[in-house]
Amino acid sequence: MNNVIVHNAVRFVALLILQLFFMDQINFLGYINPMVYIFFVLLFPLENNRWGFLLLAFLLGIIMDTFQDTGGAHAVATVTLAFMRPLLLKLVYGQGYLTKNLKIIQSPLDRFLLLLLLAIVVHHVLLFALVIFNTSQILYILKLTLSIGIASYIMITILFLLFSKRKEQ
Amino acid sequence: MQQIFNFLIKNRNLLLYLLLAFIGLIFTVQNHSYHRNSFIHSTGAFTGYFLEKQSSVSSYFDLDDENQLLREENAKLRMLLGDQADSLLSSSVVFYNSSKTPFEVFPARVIKNRYAYRDNFLTIDIGAQEDIKEDMGVITTNGILGVVDKVGSRYSRVISVLNSEISLNAQIKGTNTIGSLTWNGNSPYLMNLEDVPRLAKVVKGDTIITGQQSTTFPPDILIGVVKDAQLIDNGSRYKIDVQLFNDMTNVGTAYVIRNRDLEEIQEINNLEEDE
Repeated sequence: MNNVIVHNAVRFVALLILQLFFMDQINFLGYINPMVYIFFVLLFPLENNRWGFLLLAFLLGIIMDTFQDTGGAHAVATVTLAFMRPLLLKLVYGQGYLTKNLKIIQSPLDRFLLLLLLAIVVHHVLLFALVIFNTSQILYILKLTLSIGIASYIMITILFLLFSKRKEQ
Repeated sequence: MQQIFNFLIKNRNLLLYLLLAFIGLIFTVQNHSYHRNSFIHSTGAFTGYFLEKQSSVSSYFDLDDENQLLREENAKLRMLLGDQADSLLSSSVVFYNSSKTPFEVFPARVIKNRYAYRDNFLTIDIGAQEDIKEDMGVITTNGILGVVDKVGSRYSRVISVLNSEISLNAQIKGTNTIGSLTWNGNSPYLMNLEDVPRLAKVVKGDTIITGQQSTTFPPDILIGVVKDAQLIDNGSRYKIDVQLFNDMTNVGTAYVIRNRDLEEIQEINNLEEDE
């Protein structure tokens, strides 16, 4: 149990540092900075209590907001992603994912890529809608979602491949 | 009663989610309005410390450009000062002759800059300890940068000119034509000068400078050049695209400007409104 807490605490801090110190400095084409911190929300243990999960997701988002001066956009997007995670898992891994003792980090690559795609769509659309906060700029919101979403997708996939402990087949 | 408790327990995750999302939405809305009540901002000691460390690493990569800019600016100031240039530079430098121009200048370093969104903010590494107050103007070597909006003890947040809430007094150099400078959220190199009357003479390539009526910025600070001008509202007003001199995507050193006479000017302006 303690091991799980330490694991997640380290992941929380490490992903934040990676996000703030490296990812936010990339500025590819002037504005494309991948959002890797949502990897934490995807990897959080499945069976743990959801109250703590939601609160942690909110905290993670608020920390991102203080660094980017985006008010509460990251917090809302991240907490929404955390809240919707069971639904996404059900879609990707089937109804009985809880009984199968599933570990996201050990799951097959194709399943994870599907989960990641859904998660990034939910998170980025909401995030950039709140960051831009203007209905006349929907095209710009979609442009940000698409371009930064692709960057996030690539980065998180690389992280997944680096850290996944899939059994050798 | 029992049913209410059952309902609460059954839906506790949903309720917590709604509460957190609501709090986040309030923060978001507050951040998008031009009011100084936002809770979540980057001027706290912790956030500022991290941003400062981060920028102290990344600023190494820009040292050459930065030095070149500062050298050019030094040369310009040398020319202005002529043989009066024997005064030592301290943390706050009184520009030109203090009895003539009431503006005091504080050097600062930009530790966070963002220009991809519609409401952009910068963070600088001086704050209340250095006597920075809200509403002070911020400029760089090449032009204007923004207006201070939130002051922490050691850091301050600056509303970038690339923010949809900003509206600055500007004028066309060599004339008395004034307009308000806004940003429409598209390119970080372009701003719009609005409310310029039809009779004003606007020529492509004209220089835009800060206006005489501005209390935030000293007059005659460079902003940009006229790139394009169109008559709008049945030809009654001009809408001018202004190409900024300042490259907002690459800022290192900034200067915060304090207007000594600000309170006096505001008092007089309020008198006019009251009567």
